[in-house]
Amino acid sequence: MIKITATAESPEQARALLDVGADTLYVGGHPFGLRLPRALGLDEIKEITLLAHRQGKKVNVAVNGLLHNEQVEQLPDYLQRLAEINADAVTMGDPGAILTLQELDLDLPYIYDAGTLVTSAEQIAFWIDHGAIGAVAARELTLSELKEMQSKLNQPVEVLVYGPTCIHQSGRPLVTNYYRYAGMSERTDKDRGLYLRDPKNPDSQYPIFEDEEGTHIFSQDLSLMPVLQDLYDNGLHTWKLDGVLLHGEAFVQIVRLFAEAREALEAGNFVPAALCNRLQSIQPQSRSLGTGFYLKDPKDIN
Amino acid sequence: MRKIVDKPEVLAPAGNLEKLKMAIRYGADAVYIGGQAYGLRSRAGNFTEDEMREGVDFAHTRGAKVYVAANMVTHEGDAAGAGRFFKTLRDIGIDAVIISDPALITTCFISAPGLPIHLSTQASATNYKTLEFWKKVGLERVVLAREVGIEEIREMRRHTDIEIEAFIHGAMCIAYSGRCTLSNHMVNRDANRGGCAQSCRWKYDLFEIDGNSARSLIPEDAEPFSMSAVDLSMLHHIPDMIEAGVNSLKIEGRMKSIHYVSTVSNVYRKVVDAYCVDPDHFVFDPAWEEEIWKVAQRDLSTGFYYGVPTEKEQLFGKPRKIPKYTFAAQVLSYDPETKIATLQQRNNFGLGEEVEFYGPGFVRFKQTVRDLWNENGEPIDRAPNPMMTVTMTVDHPVEPYYLMRKK
Ligand code: SF4
Repeated sequence: MIKITATAESPEQARALLDVGADTLYVGGHPFGLRLPRALGLDEIKEITLLAHRQGKKVNVAVNGLLHNEQVEQLPDYLQRLAEINADAVTMGDPGAILTLQELDLDLPYIYDAGTLVTSAEQIAFWIDHGAIGAVAARELTLSELKEMQSKLNQPVEVLVYGPTCIHQSGRPLVTNYYRYAGMSERTDKDRGLYLRDPKNPDSQYPIFEDEEGTHIFSQDLSLMPVLQDLYDNGLHTWKLDGVLLHGEAFVQIVRLFAEAREALEAGNFVPAALCNRLQSIQPQSRSLGTGFYLKDPKDIN
Repeated sequence: MRKIVDKPEVLAPAGNLEKLKMAIRYGADAVYIGGQAYGLRSRAGNFTEDEMREGVDFAHTRGAKVYVAANMVTHEGDAAGAGRFFKTLRDIGIDAVIISDPALITTCFISAPGLPIHLSTQASATNYKTLEFWKKVGLERVVLAREVGIEEIREMRRHTDIEIEAFIHGAMCIAYSGRCTLSNHMVNRDANRGGCAQSCRWKYDLFEIDGNSARSLIPEDAEPFSMSAVDLSMLHHIPDMIEAGVNSLKIEGRMKSIHYVSTVSNVYRKVVDAYCVDPDHFVFDPAWEEEIWKVAQRDLSTGFYYGVPTEKEQLFGKPRKIPKYTFAAQVLSYDPETKIATLQQRNNFGLGEEVEFYGPGFVRFKQTVRDLWNENGEPIDRAPNPMMTVTMTVDHPVEPYYLMRKK
């Protein structure tokens, strides 16, 4: 059974995402969640959880930040509140957060999510020994690596199938620092729509923004629509769609396409071409789609 | 009079056996090196088993320690053989391994029980609860992320007694360590497996998209966008580091030269000793700073220790020119009767040049090259050949392994 996890930016969007076939909504807020479409308050998370549960669906909450002492102080209270509103799971990558959760002994499991650092089944096994119920795979893995990883584990390995992927997190305000150096005054937030380009690669385009956690840089948007059959055949059945840089209805429509793809795969009649074309027409024209590392040969990466 | 008996360790990088020995001679309490596998510095000149054995022998007879960095983030298949590797390290007598990958941590526990494990900075430990987690797992030490402040370290120390290691000097990743895959995505090189191409130091266009076309935001006369950090130096703040409870003061740079490693180790050895012997009357000696600048490659800053770095702690455009010193020779022997030193040449130098000798214990003096003879005792003007043996008169006594630099 394929499970679709999609980020939700508001209760309205959450409702629409559930309608088009999302199984799990992924939400979160400051100061614990990283790179979310919108930082939501506990009241909104509660509302979304009620909506999802009414349909027998789930809500996972992002607690995947690199936490400093100050955040760790506030964490027990936050986790307790999440347990009270019956959130289904949290994502975590900071061992301090994981220890905190274990000590509280709440009815709230965690999925291991440390971004770039989740690259082998043996690593995930370590976190499963420490209570994890699954893990989110790094985006820098190839299909053959993902396949091998999942085959060694009973717990689901979550694979990003749509969305931009973070390739750099700095604790420094890199854009602000540049503005100050260059004497500019400009916004640096996510909705400002800033990009970097490597002049040696004229087609390159890397979204960049700042928030309370520092500076984040992203790769080209990922879409695994063309290779979903491979994922399906190789037991990679937990899909994540990330709307961090795509708001509202457009993202809902994209989730709908992946839900259609799921249906076709499960019925044994998946044909990617038409779905890929439809996805292309919804995707903002200024941001091209690629398959990231999935089709690369692990031997070519050194 | 107050005295600090439990001095923190000065931990220096060693890219090869010669550097390992120099670092220890010049005051390092411990060095970290790379093995033939599982490290992040594939180009840093890694140690063979025999070299490690010799290094450990050298270190242990001088009361120093040797750690091996095995801080790669492994992919499927990469960790095969790691158990044997860790067992070998333990049997050689390596004092600890530095690991970030939990798969390697598990393997190390199983295959080499008794070999202490330090958590690498690649794992970005930023809070006391994380330190506690790793202590419970059985690690001996945690290397902190570079993003923590002095106050945060103090707070960590109040909560846990696991050993804390923190960077005090050297180049810095501008990302949270381990959380940057710019090089993976830009040039197919895995930063977490030793392939970082320093993509952060490249120049970029910063632009917005207006309809369908890109519009650059870079002002006409400004340098392009870049993410290059200046280097870290906590030279002026060693007392803060010690009082905050840091057990190991780490110097970055397994790719750095003998000149660098010996100089930086020498300076920090001196500062730590000067502070610990009488912390209440400690006075900073400007000579220490003067010495550090002789091997500086970029401007220096205090990183995140006293606040989030601003644009002043980044490099835009042409870096400030820092006067360069080169390593010119190493002392092989000295004859106190004749005041003649025998040197091994490391860079071209000659008559009339002003050079500087320095040695362990922060000994240093300037010297003009007044005379110079080759191996056959024939007078020469210059010492042009790499590794050639020459002799010259010096005004102050020197010892083997003193080094000579010139501007
Ligand atoms: S590119 Fe820069 S920030 Fe990224 S890993 Fe390399 S040194 Fe660190």
